[in-house]
Formats: sequence, C-alpha cells, structure tokens
Amino acid sequence: MNAPPRFELFVLDDGEKPVEVAEDTKIPNAATFKIVKQDHTLGNMLRAQVLAMPQVLFAGYKVPHPLHPYFLLKIQTDGTATPQAVLEQACTKLITTLSALEAKFKREFSFKDVEGTVAEDPYGATGTGGQAWGAGRDYLDF
Amino acid sequence: MQAYEDSEPIVRIRDLKKDRVNFVLDNADLAFANAIRRVVQADIPTVAIDMVEIEENTTVLPDEFLAHRLGMIPLVSVNCDEAIRYSRECTCLTGCQYCSVELRLDVSCHDNRTMEVTSNHLEVIPPMNGENDGLPGEEITKRGEDFGHPVGKNDPAVQPVLICKIRKGQQLKLRCVAKKGIAKEHAKWSPCSAVSFEYDPYNKLRHTTHWFESDERAEWPVGENAKEEEPPRDDEPFDFNAKPRKFYFEVETDGSLGPQEVIMRGLAELQTKLANLILGLKAPPDVDMMNGGGGDPGMPPTNGHTTAGGWAGGGWGSMSPTGGGWGNGGSAGGGWAGGTSPAQNGGGNSGGWATSPAQNAASGWGGTSPSQNAWGSNTSPNSGATGSGSTWGTGVQQGWASPSQQASGWNV
Repeated sequence: MNAPPRFELFVLDDGEKPVEVAEDTKIPNAATFKIVKQDHTLGNMLRAQVLAMPQVLFAGYKVPHPLHPYFLLKIQTDGTATPQAVLEQACTKLITTLSALEAKFKREFSFKDVEGTVAEDPYGATGTGGQAWGAGRDYLDF
Repeated sequence: MQAYEDSEPIVRIRDLKKDRVNFVLDNADLAFANAIRRVVQADIPTVAIDMVEIEENTTVLPDEFLAHRLGMIPLVSVNCDEAIRYSRECTCLTGCQYCSVELRLDVSCHDNRTMEVTSNHLEVIPPMNGENDGLPGEEITKRGEDFGHPVGKNDPAVQPVLICKIRKGQQLKLRCVAKKGIAKEHAKWSPCSAVSFEYDPYNKLRHTTHWFESDERAEWPVGENAKEEEPPRDDEPFDFNAKPRKFYFEVETDGSLGPQEVIMRGLAELQTKLANLILGLKAPPDVDMMNGGGGDPGMPPTNGHTTAGGWAGGGWGSMSPTGGGWGNGGSAGGGWAGGTSPAQNGGGNSGGWATSPAQNAASGWGGTSPSQNAWGSNTSPNSGATGSGSTWGTGVQQGWASPSQQASGWNV
C-alpha cells in the first residue's frame, strides 16, 4: 500500500545528482564517489577500467545494501591525476570501447543478414512489426 | 594491463536466429562482458501488461492469478524507445494512448469441451484519438503494425501462451493496460528469456572447483565452447596472472524484441549510463571552476545548465527527432536539451565532440553546428578553465570525434 514506486530504484529524483564526490580526509589523492541509482552493472565495469589505469593505486566499489540503489566507488591515485579526472577518463574510455564494439556488432549483424543464414524474420517473431522496424529505422542505416 | 589499454574487444557472431544470437566476445574484460550481460537482461525497455481490470471471471483461476499470468505474456515491443512513453513521464493521469497499450480479452465457452484461453485471444484496441490527457506526441506513428500484440499472435508456427482453461458456461472478460518498463522494476519487462555467459571452458583459471569422484576429466565433460580454446596440457603450470579474455554469449529473447535490437540497445544503454555519469561529474566542479580558474569567459552566466549547455543539439544517441535529451525521451524540459542557439553554449570554443561539421548530423556526440560545441579541448583561447577542460580534450583526441567512428548514433 505505502510501498515506494519501484522505479525509484533506477530513476533519479527531481534535482538528484547522479554522483556525489567525497574527498578522503585521511588518505592523499583519494575520493569516494557515491553513484546513485546505479548498480553492479556500472560499478564493476568502472572499477575494472579505473584499475587498469597506471595512475591508480586503489580502486574498489561496493553496494552497501542491496535495497539501497547506489554504490560507492573509491579511487586513490598516485597524485598525477585527481580521482575525478581518472574516473572521467575511465568513463570516456569505456564509451569509446563500447561504441567501437557497437560498430563491430553492427558489421557482424549485417554480414549475417547478407549471408542469409537468418530465418525469414531477423527481428524476432514479430511479424509485420519487425518489417516495419526494418523499413523505418534500421541499425544498419549508418 | 597494458594489453587492456590498447586493445579493443572483438566480436564474432556464431549463430543468429530470429530469437537468439550466439556470439564470442574476445579481448574483453570480465567486468565489461558482465556489464553487457547485465544490461541486456535488466535495462532494456519493453512493454508488458501492467494493469488488469477483470469484468467477468467465472473460470477456476482467481483474478490475481490471471493478472499475473497476463503480465508474463511477451508483447511485441519493437522500437520501444520511440513508440511509447513511460507512464511516469507522461502528463496523463491514468494512462493514455502515448504511454499505454490497451488489450481486451473476452472468451466464453459454449462447447462441451475444455477450451483453452490463450494469448491469441488478446485483442489490441487501436489507440483512440480524442480521449486522452497526454501531451500530443509522435509515439503512435513510430509503432509497428503489431506493436503491443502478443508475440506470435496468429502465427501458426508459434504456439500461443496458455492463460487459462475454461469449460462450458465459464467466461473470462477483461481489459488489460500494457505499459513500458524495464526488468529492474519487474522481470516481465525483460526482453531476454535466457542469457548464457561462459568463459574458460577448461577451467584453467580455476574460477570454479570441480568436485569429482575419481577422474575430473571424465566426470566434467567440456562443452561446445571448449572447441574455441586450447585444451590445457597435463604438465601445464597454473598461471596465476591469467585473466579471462574470451566470453561465449548466447542471448535468447522472448520475442518482444529481436536479438539485434537487444544487443544494440544494450550497448547504447551502457553508454548512456556512462555519459550521465560524466555529466554528473562535470556539473559540480563548475562551481570550483568559477571560483578558482576564473571560469570560462565564453560561458554566459545565464546559461542555466552551465557546463551542460554544450551537450545540446547532439544528443548522445538520443532517439528523439528533436535532438534533445540523451535518449531519455527527448523531453524539452530535460536538462540537457538546453541551448539551440550558439550563444548559449560555451562561447568561442570551436572544438567539441565533432570536429567536422559534416559529420555532425550523423555523430551522436556532434552538435548541430561547430560553434555549438562547448566541450572543446583547450585549443580555443577562450576556454580559460584549463583544469577541467583538459580531460575532455583528451577524450576528444581519443577519437570520439573521428569521422570514421560514428559514436553511438542511433539518430541517423
């Protein structure tokens, strides 16, 4: 009855900041990012990417409570870059990687279409809807 | 580490069917591959029945039982991003043609035999003009012919979903409202019925422990994916530095979306998440920038979205034809759809996400004119804020703006 709407788990409230930065007072060049309305999908991917950067001494993330829709990402750097800058670079790098992967997927899918290995309807058992999609906006229309 | 830095994932589709795709993702990180798996399972919007009004139910199943069963029926959700709004983002009070699809079911049995009520009995009520409270939009024109229909309806090759069995004299009459949602809210909105994800078929990395009676090899036969990898030699020492790099995926959809759309939307969704995070990181340091670095002289103080102004126009793979808003429906009120006039956006910066004006239309990151791009690198003399600008500058040089690399452009 008084349950909060479930979309609060993944939609930012009005005026809510997607990320809060808390600089560590005891460790040099360290900061904790509270990234709200996100989960392991982003947390683990960012952690791995940040950790792969040479300036980073420490990176870790946790979801403090499974019912609270946020995670904490802690980054410590060697001082040549701020944790914020490092995190931003990591995001940038990931987006680059993802868009490259997207292009590769697009190519692979188009090859499969051309080869005709797909059964009559490559867009799922969707009948005319699939065709409407294909006719209208196609991912291969680049 | 080094290899990770300067390499990009490789993908090879092994099999593509109308409801599934099997691919190998190589040269990727475990966390990256897992993010793809998670995002296709939980973050892609589809439509599913969310509300059921039961008018007559004399079947053996109780109302809530039926309502739950109805919710699970996959509905065709192709092009869901553009074709329907989230009802939480709609201005209507109880659901309108722009944020919901209405389905009706009216079946009664007059025979002396058991009758099966299936998803084929669900009829989509075409959207009616006039009686709606939502702001007018183009959603309905974006819908395919069978948008919202149960998957495989009237396709003899597809078995319909059984809802209930009724006998003579029983009747089931109800009205359903299907809404858009994602699987984080309820699993019925997941476009995927199964996603298999495997790496290291020989367990060389020892991420798992095989319990065995006497012979591990005999009791743990390797799967199909093992053909892709070298079997370990008997005398091979354990490589404790090894990391999984090759992942075997099979994404099976429930038919609401095709496998291609699921994958592409998943990748776009991940990029949107990251981009929102970058924006979130960018927004607060703006205050420091104003205090410390003297701010960007080209940035007019009236720009309400401050640093975000420069994002306008390009719209990050936004699906909306207006070009605004980060793929979140392109609402005009959304924060990033700000300046269309060059004056509003970071002044004299000529850099930006798209360096060539010709590319702008196609690139998701591109502004609509070169002068609109505010996230210039520090090449512009006007961008005084060296500190925060530099990171963006490197981002640009890493090739988002390269003409060959059409970032995340859904809006072609």
